[in-house]
Amino acid sequence: MADILQILILGLALGGVIALMGSGLSLVFGVMRIVNLAHPSLIIAGAYIAYWAFKVLGIDPIVMLPVSAAILAAVGVLLYRLMFEKETKSAKYSEMTVLLTFALAMMAEGVLGGLFTNTQRVTSPDYATDAFFIGDVFIPKGQLYAGVLSLAIIAALTLFLKYSRLGYAIRATTQNREAAELLGVNVNFISILAFAIGIGLAGAAGSLVSFVFSFFPAKHWEWIAMLMSVVVLGGMGSILGTVVAALLLSVVAAFVGTWIGATWSTMTFFLALFLILLIRPQGLFGEKPEMA
Amino acid sequence: MTVTLQQSSASSVLKARRAHNEKLARKADQTRATWFPLALLAILVALPLLQFVGNYNYVLHLVLFTASYVAMASGWNILGGFAGYVSLGHSVFFGVGGYFAGMLLARYGISTIITAPLAGLVAAVLGYLIGLITLKVRGPSFIISSIALLMIARILFDNWEFVGGANGLTLPTNDLPVQWAKLPYYYAMIAIAAFTVWATYRIKHSKFGLGLRAISKDEIKAESAGIDTRFYKVMAFAFSAFFVGMTGAVWGEYLTYLRPNIFLLILVSANLVLMSILGGKGTIAGPVVGAILIVALNEFFVATMGASEINILGTGLVMAVGLIFFPLGLIGTLAKKGKLPRVLNWD
Repeated sequence: MADILQILILGLALGGVIALMGSGLSLVFGVMRIVNLAHPSLIIAGAYIAYWAFKVLGIDPIVMLPVSAAILAAVGVLLYRLMFEKETKSAKYSEMTVLLTFALAMMAEGVLGGLFTNTQRVTSPDYATDAFFIGDVFIPKGQLYAGVLSLAIIAALTLFLKYSRLGYAIRATTQNREAAELLGVNVNFISILAFAIGIGLAGAAGSLVSFVFSFFPAKHWEWIAMLMSVVVLGGMGSILGTVVAALLLSVVAAFVGTWIGATWSTMTFFLALFLILLIRPQGLFGEKPEMA
Repeated sequence: MTVTLQQSSASSVLKARRAHNEKLARKADQTRATWFPLALLAILVALPLLQFVGNYNYVLHLVLFTASYVAMASGWNILGGFAGYVSLGHSVFFGVGGYFAGMLLARYGISTIITAPLAGLVAAVLGYLIGLITLKVRGPSFIISSIALLMIARILFDNWEFVGGANGLTLPTNDLPVQWAKLPYYYAMIAIAAFTVWATYRIKHSKFGLGLRAISKDEIKAESAGIDTRFYKVMAFAFSAFFVGMTGAVWGEYLTYLRPNIFLLILVSANLVLMSILGGKGTIAGPVVGAILIVALNEFFVATMGASEINILGTGLVMAVGLIFFPLGLIGTLAKKGKLPRVLNWD
């Protein structure tokens, strides 16, 4: 029994982090219909910011979180203007943007690999290796902090989307781009804003990830399929769905990892992706997919 | 407003249309420079004669390498170019073909050059089965599922001890002198590449190819026009897997080892997409031109800068610039402007 509780807790803590990693992806898809394959490589960029800040200046990764989020958000604005703004009128928009973000992911990997080599890194503040004990069950502090912070950030994002004027505008654009524009929403500005928030979330996730997982520039290929299965399972564009799917899959993966073998735990995510495409392509909380 | 109906009966209309189509086809045949690809092929077949006057193994290797990518990119083009389903997981079939033929070679000593069609067939059956699942979704979801497929294959092959796991498998080498050792693979790969290009031409001009192009334009309309879109798509997946699998088979024996981190790389898939798009998706000559360009570019990056990170960065950069400025690719852009040289119009 304690075993099961233990696995459950570890799975939930990691699930929180994965939810934050996926939420930016989901937001960007919801508002702009861009499947951002470069999202994990930007998370890794954020992780490197936290890593070097800790290593050189001794700044705690949690303190670095807003900084790396802000840097990545600025990068997001730049990328949107350079790469995606022109594409909004392209006939093959969704396919073009997927390929563009794929190219972006490769460029990010190349730049990070050239700068920082392919050594595995992990930020090691004191709490990353420490744990709380409750009876037989232990809770690693690093994962707990990261998971709780992630869920807090997502909660803040949800409140922002639900109650602020900009949040209204973003949700309106998600639901119907043309109608939102007719009602006077500056759709282009909202797109830039949502993209910046999405990439900023990648930066925030990056600094938390830096002490939860070990990372290197080419790691993002493993993450992209994992995050995509979370986002697809939750229903593309639904942040609530992303959170539910992340917690669910992460717990299942934790059980698979303990009972069957660690190599197969990542497999959970990929198989889940295939299953969901087979049974319910629109995901748990998604609308019917459009055929376009 | 009154509408005047044509008095002629349906059959005479059909007859006239058929005659007109035939006239168009004859005219296209007359202007097509068929001699150019044939001359290119002849030059490549004669190229190994260089070995009599010196050691040109590097040249042969480059041609072989390019030919392998020509075959794979052209195969990819059937699904990605004609049917419009972009797959980023085609290295799975490269790996499956390579491993299947390689295991036959390791166990029974049958050369992969003989078993290559069989390996292609295995890849095609696998492609058919996977297509049944993943072709239910289109656009971004399909691309994502193809990446997940590659990840699954990588984990499976990394942990499958029968085929050597992550360390892979060493294959026996042939006992020809160094001067001639590459030749069997060279000719096999040229043959596969030529066959693939010819096959994509035939497919494009068949009823099947027409159906695929209709699907890429508008799948719902294609379906209401009576095309069995599901069967067409899945068959396109199987065909494109076939050619990639065949290439993988010969490539494995040429390398003399099989290893998941060589065959099941997303960079290989990315290269196929890049070559097809840069050359011109959905055209016959596009993947060929794209493959030659990208291999040349890769050699240039590796020769001048060496580091593989630069290579990845360069590939990504070329892809982004190509997509933003020439979404139709080299052949497509030239054809749209009416400036495509006759020797490159293979459609």
